[in-house]
Amino acid sequence: MLDIRRISTSRWWHKKKNWILFVIFLFLVFVRISKGSIYKDFYYFISKPFWPGQFQREVLLKSVNQESLIKLNLLKKDNARLREILSLKDSSKKDNISAAVISRKTGSWWRQLILNKGAKDGVEIGSVVIGPGGLLGIVNKTSLFTSSVTLLTSPESKVGVWLDRVQINGLLVGLGDNYPSLILYSNDADIKVGDFVSSSPSSSLLPPNIPIGIIQSIDEPFKAKKTAKISLLGKPHVIDWVQIIKVKI
Amino acid sequence: MNKFFTTKLSIVVFILIPIIFLWHPSWLGFLGVQPYWPLFWLLPWSMINGSINGLIFGLFLGLILDSLTINSDFTQIPGLILCGFWFGKIKLHSANLIIGHFRYGLICSLGSFLCGTIYFLQILLKNFLDSTFLLLIPSIQNILAEVFLTGIFAPLICSQLLRMFKFSGKK
Repeated sequence: MLDIRRISTSRWWHKKKNWILFVIFLFLVFVRISKGSIYKDFYYFISKPFWPGQFQREVLLKSVNQESLIKLNLLKKDNARLREILSLKDSSKKDNISAAVISRKTGSWWRQLILNKGAKDGVEIGSVVIGPGGLLGIVNKTSLFTSSVTLLTSPESKVGVWLDRVQINGLLVGLGDNYPSLILYSNDADIKVGDFVSSSPSSSLLPPNIPIGIIQSIDEPFKAKKTAKISLLGKPHVIDWVQIIKVKI
Repeated sequence: MNKFFTTKLSIVVFILIPIIFLWHPSWLGFLGVQPYWPLFWLLPWSMINGSINGLIFGLFLGLILDSLTINSDFTQIPGLILCGFWFGKIKLHSANLIIGHFRYGLICSLGSFLCGTIYFLQILLKNFLDSTFLLLIPSIQNILAEVFLTGIFAPLICSQLLRMFKFSGKK
C-alpha cells in the first residue's frame, strides 16, 4: 500500500523544465495577441547598425551625380553636333574666362559691371557674361586690363529671349530698374507667371539656352504687344566672380 | 607735398569724383540709387569761381563721367554744363548759417533733378517707339531717389568743401 503512494517532489510543477516550457508558451501567446509587434521592435534594434546609412546615401548621390553629368555631357555633345549641322551659333567651355567684379553700378541709369579682365586676356566686345544663376549682360567696352559689361537691367540692353513652355521668342528690354521687361509681339501668347526665360536658341548675339529669369508678373496687353516683368536669376549686386564667354560669329 | 594738397585741394577732390562714381558704395544708396556725386564738387567750385568756370568744369566732369559709363548714346554733359553755369550765379554769402546749409541741399536737389530729367529725356527719345510707357515709372523712381539722396548729403558735403576750397584759395 505504501509502495504506490506518490512522492510529493515528483509532481509536474516541481520540475523546472516544465515551468520554462510554460513561460515560453505564455510568451508565444503574447506574441500571437500582439500580432508580432514585439518581434518587429526587436528586429528594429538589432538591425539598426546595418541600415543604409549616411555613407550609403552619399555613395548613391555620387552615383546619381555622375550619371547626370555623363548624360549632360552626352546631351551637350549631341546638341553641339546638331547645332553644327544647322550652322547655328555656339560656344565652347575652353572659351570661358573667369573674372572678378572690380566695380559695380546696379542702381540708377548706369547699370554696369567692370571686370578685371580686358583685351589683354582675350575679352572681346560682344562676349557674354554669366554668373551664378545665369546671364548677367554683354561686354560693351574693353580696355587693356578691364572690360565693361552692360547689365540686362540697363536701359541700353535689348536681347532676344526664348520661352520654352510656349515655344515663343521675345525681346528682353532693360528699363533702369531691377526687373527688365519682356515684350512679346503677339497678343495671344499663353504666358504664365513662373514661366522660365532663357537665351534664344536662334539668337545671333547670345549662346543658346543660358538661363535668364522667371516671369514675375504679366501686364495688360497693349497694342498687339504683351509685356511681362522678369525676375532675373543672376543677381549682379551680390556676384563677385563671373564667367566671360566668347561668342563665335 | 602738403603745400600742393592744401593749395590744389579742389583739383585733388575733382580727381576723386570719378573714383567715387565707380566705387558706387551701396551702403549709401537708396532703392539702389546713389546721390549724384559730381554736383557736390561743382556747386562750391562754381560758387567761388563763377559761371564760366562752372560751365567749363561741368563740361570736363561730364566728359570724364561719360567715359566711365558705357551708355554711348546718352550723355551727362548738358545737365552738368547747365548746373555749372547756374551754380556760378548763386551768391556766396548767406545771412544765416543754417539756412545756408539747407540752401545747398535744395540747390543740389534741383540740380540733380535737372540732370536726371535731361538724361531721362535722352533715353526716352531713343526708345520713343519701343518702350516709352515701360520706362516711365522706373525712371521717375530713379530721378526722385537721386534727388532725395543728393539733397540729404549736399548740406554736409558742400558746406565742408566750400570752406576747404575758400581756405586753400587764400593760401
